[in-house]
Amino acid sequence: MNNPFEAFQQSVAHNRTIPLDNILKSKGETLNKILTGYEELLKNEAKDLVWLMQYSTVIKAYSIAEKGIVEIDYTAEDIEEFCYALDHSDQIPYLITGPAGVYVSVLCNHAKEEEINLHLRDLNVKINLLGYRLPYNKKLVVEGNVGDFAGIGLDGGELIIEGSGKNYTGAGMKQGKIYVRHNLGFNTGHGMTGGQLIVGGRIKGLGKIVGGEIYERDQLIFPPDGIKPFNF
Amino acid sequence: MELEKIIKKVWPLVRKKHLFPHIPLPSVVEGGDDIALEIKSKQLLISNAFFEKLKAKMDEEEIVETILDHGLTHYMYCPWDFHTHLSLYSEAKKVVHQKEQAQRATTYFMDVVTDTYCIKEKNTKIAKLYKNLPKNGMTEVLTALYEKIWGEDLESGGHEELVNRLSRIPYLERAKWGDSVKKFTQVIQPLLEEEVENTHQNSQRGPNPLGEHSLDNYSLDEIDRGMREFASAVDNLQEFKETVEDLREELEKKGYGTGGMGRGRGNHPLDANLLYYMKLAESYTLPVRQLPIEKRGYLHPHSHKPWEIGKPFADIDLWTSFGKIMPGMTQIWTKQEGETHGELEGTPDCLIIIDSSGSMINPSERLSYAVLGAACACNAYRKQESKVAVYNFSDALRGNKIIVDFNCEKDRIYAAICRYFGGGTALDLNDIIHLLSRTDIPDIFIITDMQITNLEKVIDFVNTIENRVTAVHVGHNAHSTRFKDGTKKNRNISLFNIKEKEDIPKIILGKVDEYLNSPVR
Repeated sequence: MNNPFEAFQQSVAHNRTIPLDNILKSKGETLNKILTGYEELLKNEAKDLVWLMQYSTVIKAYSIAEKGIVEIDYTAEDIEEFCYALDHSDQIPYLITGPAGVYVSVLCNHAKEEEINLHLRDLNVKINLLGYRLPYNKKLVVEGNVGDFAGIGLDGGELIIEGSGKNYTGAGMKQGKIYVRHNLGFNTGHGMTGGQLIVGGRIKGLGKIVGGEIYERDQLIFPPDGIKPFNF
Repeated sequence: MELEKIIKKVWPLVRKKHLFPHIPLPSVVEGGDDIALEIKSKQLLISNAFFEKLKAKMDEEEIVETILDHGLTHYMYCPWDFHTHLSLYSEAKKVVHQKEQAQRATTYFMDVVTDTYCIKEKNTKIAKLYKNLPKNGMTEVLTALYEKIWGEDLESGGHEELVNRLSRIPYLERAKWGDSVKKFTQVIQPLLEEEVENTHQNSQRGPNPLGEHSLDNYSLDEIDRGMREFASAVDNLQEFKETVEDLREELEKKGYGTGGMGRGRGNHPLDANLLYYMKLAESYTLPVRQLPIEKRGYLHPHSHKPWEIGKPFADIDLWTSFGKIMPGMTQIWTKQEGETHGELEGTPDCLIIIDSSGSMINPSERLSYAVLGAACACNAYRKQESKVAVYNFSDALRGNKIIVDFNCEKDRIYAAICRYFGGGTALDLNDIIHLLSRTDIPDIFIITDMQITNLEKVIDFVNTIENRVTAVHVGHNAHSTRFKDGTKKNRNISLFNIKEKEDIPKIILGKVDEYLNSPVR
């Protein structure tokens, strides 16, 4: 009796490995390493699922995070991938926005690229502390809104937020520039000693500012005289 | 014609390579020299002008084989069906918020998936085809992407940042297509904006060389099935409505309307709201208990119509189909109701009473269980060829009501069910008495939250009639408890509660104690 499926048997599957397979495999491996580093940070810094936003805790978290990423070879796209992984509870054991933000900042500050674009428009969670200590020769462009404490301690870098920020943006920044397309919250620029903070929309309130310049809708509001055109 | 001969020669090999898809022999169209392939209701049409233009650069049989590889993989892998196409479009739209851009993003995404699948899983020369295609705009970016993810030299390059981002998308993971198309659209959004702007300025667009993906690719049955699956899969009504509104023009042009239950040219313009409940209700089957009635018609084979894929095999008439099961050749019986006399098991007509007062959900804003329940009841009775009447009310005594007499027109019934009044809740029992007198002891299906001003009168009324009453209350409150207590001695009334969508299939229509032993159909 003839096998009715004979014709199907002869049609051999081709299945070859293409570079896409390797790209995806390596992407997965890098993300796993980044996630492991993040989990290590949480183990050290947020044992009881509590993390207090203090000057000393941020500095400590930053140095632990730096150790965690030492051997990881990653790109700006991997950082973005990690940000989206933060949104998915199946990939992240738990999300604490403070350490997560410090970790993302460390990844940005140590990235190979001088300019990093993070497309975070579709992110549900707003990451705090983005752009923390962004150094000279680094430009971080964030498409979407960010959380509290964006660009704090900015150290000469350029942070561009194509969206809005929350409270304490640019707090303690020393030098560099922060551009914000839309609005900012309370205590903006609190304790900043230098640099420029340029905001296209409204600022709900300023903090206690030591130095530097803050512009709101083309208007220099700190120190309170002079006008500078607002341009992205 | 030369091309026709080549197609006939290559077609059996390509069919075998793609595991014998159920697709007719491709044909030739004169067409333009910039679009290789058109797909219309599963018919692949290869452009002769394109073939002539390319044959100087590529082997003739290879040209045809690669074009067919591309076309068949759309059919066999991505999008596979209309539901997948709609879902991808809907996800892309969430990113760009603009119809034209979303359509283009969907088309490009499906092409990348299809061609990458072909390269990985089939022995194909698609890479060679792309090497010889003119590269501009989006085609240039995609060719650069292919160069990177396929590892082939396609004489392209550049667009490094874009290509880097695009190359990280898992195109061949079907489960992730929703997220992937979103990411893909995000990355190419600036190009899409530019492309659409250029089209509007020059009123012409650089076409996609391997063809566009429109509703022309699908038959009405496929569209109908896709709509049903999409209605069940979407997160909310607004997403469904937005997608249908976007495609309204094409759907109507294709002859798809709410008039003929989705399929066929309707008498009314396409109503996305109505269509949503229609398609969603098709996913549920409510049983109707039969009862002995006099003079009942049964279905008998009446005439023939062509069979299409997806239609039941049981209705196929083998004698007029030459023993073959093939769209276009196979015929199915269309059944019509005949008349028999005497007392037989049957299903009476049904009066659907639906509350659309302010305490009920507005069915055009969110999924209304009341409307869905009523729609399911309508389908169940219509399936048994019974007629359905609708009494949709809020403050009926002030004129806020719709009365639709017993009829068989589903679009009329659905339009009445989906209407929302808001405001107070009172039934005008005279209307109900009038409707009940229009046919022989019909069943009553009432769906409400029971917060009816004249609830006591309604309870007294249902206790006096001999009709079977299926009462469904949405949510639970003191009024529904009162209705339950007030009617518990009446064996003609069965009461159900809907708290969530999953409760709807638990409803049994016409479930009355004395008919418990009758068969369920």
